[in-house]
Amino acid sequence: MERHFEHELENLKENLIAMGNLVENQLDASYRSLFEGKVDLANAVIEGDLRVNEYDTNIDSQCQRLFALNQPVAIDLRLLMSALNMNRDLERIGDIAVNIAERVRPLVNYSAFLRSTRLPEMAQIAQIMVKDSLEAFITSNPSLATRVLESDDVVDGLDRNIFYRLVREMEDQHVPIEPAAHILILSRHIERLADHATNIAEDVIFLVDAKMVKHNAFEGDR
Amino acid sequence: MEMDRSTKISTRNLNLYYGEKQALRSITIDIPVSRVTALIGPSGCGKSTYLRSLNRMNDLIDNVKIDGNVLIDDVDIYAENVDVVELRKRVGMIFQKSNPFPKSIYENVAYGPKINGIRDKKKLDEIVETSLKRSAIWDEVKDDLNKSALALSGGQQQRLCIARALAVNPEVLLMDEPASALDPIATAKIEELIYELKENYTIVIVTHNMQQAARVSDYTGFFYIGELVEFGETRKMFTTPEKKQTEEYITGRFG
Repeated sequence: MERHFEHELENLKENLIAMGNLVENQLDASYRSLFEGKVDLANAVIEGDLRVNEYDTNIDSQCQRLFALNQPVAIDLRLLMSALNMNRDLERIGDIAVNIAERVRPLVNYSAFLRSTRLPEMAQIAQIMVKDSLEAFITSNPSLATRVLESDDVVDGLDRNIFYRLVREMEDQHVPIEPAAHILILSRHIERLADHATNIAEDVIFLVDAKMVKHNAFEGDR
Repeated sequence: MEMDRSTKISTRNLNLYYGEKQALRSITIDIPVSRVTALIGPSGCGKSTYLRSLNRMNDLIDNVKIDGNVLIDDVDIYAENVDVVELRKRVGMIFQKSNPFPKSIYENVAYGPKINGIRDKKKLDEIVETSLKRSAIWDEVKDDLNKSALALSGGQQQRLCIARALAVNPEVLLMDEPASALDPIATAKIEELIYELKENYTIVIVTHNMQQAARVSDYTGFFYIGELVEFGETRKMFTTPEKKQTEEYITGRFG
């Protein structure tokens, strides 16, 4: 027996996937604007956030309606709970893309300095985490999600590395202070990016693995 | 998680046949004391048959054959020396359709105790009042105890039947779809009542309403074609059931 409710859940998943694609594109554009010094592209990212917010609002009300009208249990309940969490994380990733875009203008003449740090490396890992967490959701793949969780430690390590190195270089007066400060803030933004990807990956494990074995095992590790 | 809650009713490899047809297949369940256990499953799955086997109501049907054990407080209720009338006093039953006697409210509740030999008017008054209070209908009927029970609303009749069951001081209450003929407000009252009663009684309820099972019960058993598919804590059954079949049934994907 196929039910109307299942179509609605499929539709919710499609909306999350579409939002995920949009957010990935926003993030990719924010990176290109930053590392290639493209101010116009940065502005496009800032404007594009309106569409992300629109998805956020729509998915929230869709979930609210599905909760209210269907009293979901078991797998359906987990999907709706995960959808609410993922929606919030995706919206925040969209905000971080905007935060990155906002730093493009002050760093536009410092691309060599930017590339001399480990920020590009860190940014790439975080981007892969976002991509993999969404892929894990689309393909219901908890082992891919687990790999995302493991990458988070690498990003955290790079964030600390960038912080201490830049602080030391500022103390030694080897680097200009203002752009260095912007890069420190960018590093924190990207670290948060990886956290949101981690949250999405945890939701995928919760959604797919009803027993939450891997989720608990991982929490035990941390 | 409750690990050590003691068992009130225990069925061991219970098989039940209606003539040639096997209606229950090797059902083994431990029903915890002072808790609500819900039995769910599609029509014909055996849940009501199972419920009726707990106070030997199936004895009244021709051609029923039972093997396996039903233990209440570790005593086999199908043993030869068991007094069935005494058993049904301990294990009361509430049906889908409320069935008050065509007598006054008072007489409905006093009927059981009178049959059990209580003659003292004061004692009977006390039992009637306590039972009606416990079944959360006292305030609605206390000024009208001589009114015919048949003049009450459906929800009130059902609570009166619960009062009637409580009047003989049972230990277990079996409820077969007790609210399925009632409107949402009367249903909510029955559900609240079940919640309150579980402190003093072990309750087993059969229901087609999955949300009702989720709301009122502590443990749930899912039956399908005469077999027990899954039994466990309700909060676990409705969030992360073990069996695919359970998940498909409670999410409405089959059944």
